[in-house]
Amino acid sequence: MKKCLFIIFTLLVFISCEKNKQENKSRYLRHVGDIEHDSNIDDEDFIVCNESTATQYFAFGEHLPYEGEKYEIEKIFFEKYKTPENSTENGLVRIRFVVNCKGEAGRFRLMAMNDDYQEKKFDNKITGQLMALTKGLDGWRVMVSKSDPRDYYVYLIFKIRNGELVDIMP
Amino acid sequence: MKNIFCFLLSCFFSQVIFSQNCNAYLYYGDTLQYEACVIAEKRAGNYQFSRAYQEALDEALEKCDYFSHAYRHKSVAYLKSGDFLTWKRLMDKAVELDPAEFLQYRGWCRYQFFRDYQGAIDDIERLDSLVNYDIGFSQNGDYHLHIARGLWYKALGQKDKAIEIIETQLAAENHSPGLYDYLHLGVLYLEINEIDEAIHAFNKQTENYPYAENQFYLGLAQKAKGNFDAYLNHLQNAKAMYLKRERMFDVYSIPLDKIYLQEIEAELEEARSMTEH
Repeated sequence: MKKCLFIIFTLLVFISCEKNKQENKSRYLRHVGDIEHDSNIDDEDFIVCNESTATQYFAFGEHLPYEGEKYEIEKIFFEKYKTPENSTENGLVRIRFVVNCKGEAGRFRLMAMNDDYQEKKFDNKITGQLMALTKGLDGWRVMVSKSDPRDYYVYLIFKIRNGELVDIMP
Repeated sequence: MKNIFCFLLSCFFSQVIFSQNCNAYLYYGDTLQYEACVIAEKRAGNYQFSRAYQEALDEALEKCDYFSHAYRHKSVAYLKSGDFLTWKRLMDKAVELDPAEFLQYRGWCRYQFFRDYQGAIDDIERLDSLVNYDIGFSQNGDYHLHIARGLWYKALGQKDKAIEIIETQLAAENHSPGLYDYLHLGVLYLEINEIDEAIHAFNKQTENYPYAENQFYLGLAQKAKGNFDAYLNHLQNAKAMYLKRERMFDVYSIPLDKIYLQEIEAELEEARSMTEH
């Protein structure tokens, strides 16, 4: 009987290890768009409360969960963003990040494209400003699901025409 | 509450839409696509952002790399996370394989998520040239695609063309007014200073779907005519409706012509000062 239990236990451990190995081999994280902590670029003080339940901002059935809605976000960007002189840069810049269960934002990641949806590197005078302004947003709301405050992913997309900020999405 | 209900409803319908009848491929003698379709069904019950969902579709594509629906389904999580690069690559593949099936989705999403007005027009006009049936509605169901196409021309500065497209669609046999059709038309007339036409459109909107935005723009139209009491009254209605969440809404993007509470309040202040004098 003991021998039998030992074999079953060994088998379970083996299956579990194989499963983990398979998961580790996957080219996907838990969810598309998840952002892992990177000690080289991320603020060490920023804590995600529960990685395994982090969700997308729209899962709460609302548009951007920001105090004063997107109106306030646009106000900040359109007032503070300075168009670089003689810029001919066009395309979209996306900044994606996590808002934790306390309403703090971190793990900012940037992606950009030209008008043909091809990857593009923008002038740092543009992306540097957009990143700094995004990091400065402090009105993210604490979102609750089943009585628990949840971490959530948000993104902002900036439409740039000749270096000028002309629209913000979503 | 209404928003949560709409979100859950859209999730439900997206699951229903994702259910394909794989046997249809067998009917056409395409066993490879049939097998890929069956493999893709492994994603059922998994969240579209999840690893399991994506891997099931990858496995389907390994079986059959021209199974176009897999590219489309894979693309959704990238779209909703703002990853325009991966989304476009996947949707281009789907459209390349079956343009009549996927141009509607790609075109609409180019507008809804990325404000790519010209790209959206190109896709929908290409679709219209390919098929001999009604091109149908936007992915979220809020617009007939010709109404949306009119709005995209407006966004590119072609207001007369926008009005012509929208009026033509509204006059079409079998067209039922969408959620915001007359509101957008009214705003267009307001912007070209045809105030009576604008009021007529806003009143039609009120008959169909009253929203805070409609009251706001009606207020502006009355202001333009010098009817300041009506101007104030409509703005007060707009604020009350906004606070009751009777307003334009899309969980993934901000609809064109949407108004925020701050804008209503700023206009209300002006209306009060004008009626006091």
